[in-house]
Amino acid sequence: MNETAITAYKDPKLPPPVDLPEGPEWVGVLKVFDAHVAETLVAAAHTLYPHQTLPERVYRRTVVAFDALAARMPAVAQGFAEFVDLVDGAMPVPFRELSESYRVNTLKGIEATPAFRLVQRSTVRFLYDDLEVWQAFGYEGAAVQLGGYVDRGFNDLDWLPEPPPGI
Amino acid sequence: MMTSYDLDDAGVVVIVGSGAGGGTLAHELAKRGVEVVLLEAGKHLTPDDFVNDEWGGYEMLSWLDKRTASGTWRAAKDHPFSPSWSCQVVGGTTTHWSACCYRFIEDELRAKTVYGDIAGASLIDWPITLDELNPYYDLAEAKMGVTRTNGLPGLPANNNFKVMHAGAKALGLNVSTGRHAINSIPYDGRPATIQDGFTITGDKTGSRWSTLNVEIPRALATGKLELRPQSRVVQVEHDEAGKASAVVYVDAAGVTHRQKARAVVLAGNCVETSRLLLHSKSARFPDGLANGWGHVGRHYLRHIIQTVWSIFDKPVHMHRGEIMAGMIDDYVRHDPARGFAGGYYIEMNSMGLPTTAAFLEPGWWGRDFVSVIEQYRNMAGIFMSGEDMPQPGNRITLTDELDAFGVPVANIHYDDHPNDLKLRVHGYKTLSAIHAAAGAKRSIEAPSYPASHNLGSNRMAAKAEDGVLDGHGRAWEVPNLFIADGSTFATGGACNPTLTIVALAIRQADFMAERMAAGEL
Repeated sequence: MNETAITAYKDPKLPPPVDLPEGPEWVGVLKVFDAHVAETLVAAAHTLYPHQTLPERVYRRTVVAFDALAARMPAVAQGFAEFVDLVDGAMPVPFRELSESYRVNTLKGIEATPAFRLVQRSTVRFLYDDLEVWQAFGYEGAAVQLGGYVDRGFNDLDWLPEPPPGI
Repeated sequence: MMTSYDLDDAGVVVIVGSGAGGGTLAHELAKRGVEVVLLEAGKHLTPDDFVNDEWGGYEMLSWLDKRTASGTWRAAKDHPFSPSWSCQVVGGTTTHWSACCYRFIEDELRAKTVYGDIAGASLIDWPITLDELNPYYDLAEAKMGVTRTNGLPGLPANNNFKVMHAGAKALGLNVSTGRHAINSIPYDGRPATIQDGFTITGDKTGSRWSTLNVEIPRALATGKLELRPQSRVVQVEHDEAGKASAVVYVDAAGVTHRQKARAVVLAGNCVETSRLLLHSKSARFPDGLANGWGHVGRHYLRHIIQTVWSIFDKPVHMHRGEIMAGMIDDYVRHDPARGFAGGYYIEMNSMGLPTTAAFLEPGWWGRDFVSVIEQYRNMAGIFMSGEDMPQPGNRITLTDELDAFGVPVANIHYDDHPNDLKLRVHGYKTLSAIHAAAGAKRSIEAPSYPASHNLGSNRMAAKAEDGVLDGHGRAWEVPNLFIADGSTFATGGACNPTLTIVALAIRQADFMAERMAAGEL
């Protein structure tokens, strides 16, 4: 364990992360999206936020969260469907089969559309709310169940001068 | 058993909204023997309901009903359906706030006189002086347990503060952990902070003052208050004499009620208070209640709020500990040599990964964003709250779209004033310079998030033609209608508004109780 090792926690009152199968059968958990829509949205999320160190499953969980949103709100479902049509229509090859530079250019070409905005904002909303992503980037999450940080490093930064007591 | 009042009891004061203004006023009136019905649109939650989770807390506490936005402000682009933010829950936005407690300075209460004529700005002086307000600031600080007042020590330095401190010292700035309504030691039956960093999702331990954990329980204990949660007010009615006579609201089951009232106090934050007044039209008040001079909804302010996030070589772990426990006051005073009017507080800011990612630069994607957010552990945040210029066209209006209760959805229009933009530029440079002096590798100038310091829009003024309210927050045109939220501010000042809202509510309670005793209210 190095000095920066942390353990991330979700609040115990919240539901645990979705446990997805590792293979292509992960799309079986989806309520609204078909496999093509789902895999296209995973490719989009990955292109928008291409973290080399994150496994594919965090992007899939992000799309599972999109699917739950779409199941609750038909207008949102429509927005995701429009997004897939837009990105698939941009090139003679489906979006999910494009190379990275073409995927980036395709997304740049539709940045002003509500469908792009929906996918980009939703990706930020759910990707960075994922426990595995928290763990990877050093965010520890819920703390009250462990007594906060008062005895767990709220003032452990030691590479700058210590402020005087009572400042 | 909670006291209950009959719907036809015209002897009660009805307060709409249970946050810093309404919740405090309910307690202060009840303490003085006044019978109060407190209507709150949100649920009555307990600390056990709250979560240590940024989005979970946001979704639990926020007023999520649709609003629209127009104007040049970034919120219209970044947050077009939620440009302004407040809470819908018993305790209002005090369930969320980060508890910075600073007082207005004298110049800020005389903005028109001190700043002079500024083109496009509708500045006025406050109808209250600092000398009149100071005794109430004293009372507010005591009840809220503000650090560095009443013998309470300041909050201890945390990791993010160490960064701010190092930079500020290198630049010769006056830096401290500031003043907060968060217990640094046990106070008033509430514990010291455990530094969990989740003050803004409800505060499970109660170390931070809120009306939910202090004012409302004490008001209920007097036997003079009836709290009605999940009561969504849709209209304020008046009698033939033009006095407020009743409040119409819809309960959790969707049933509409009419509560009669001796006096009505609106405390629903700028957007909802203005919306209610504008919607409460009648033959006598064709443009909305108390809007004869056309000021309702106008001169809306939201402060110059922005954050700089910086990346350092080594871990900061900014999420550990109280999130805004740092303050620099060198730029608070009005100084014409800076090239703009008004000043700003520099404060600390920290966020968890979910909201840092969301607010760093909404709309930003690609490898550059990724390279920044991956260094979350090494990030520090520094923040400012500065004075924005009142403008008559910056206003809350009603749209043609109706909400689920049949009340028009509000639009918030805000154009940045040139003075605002000058202050923003000055502030960003200062914030980045502080982090650079502490060794930042890269700084990101993040835009404002949805407005949380909602002010003005129903302002107090010395003359009826200049505002909606007199110096006691009483409508010039409706003698038993009051407002007790930030919408009453004549100008915005620079500091976080809650302490002033609480002080004004205590002062208003004194005034209302006196008028009642004199048989004049």
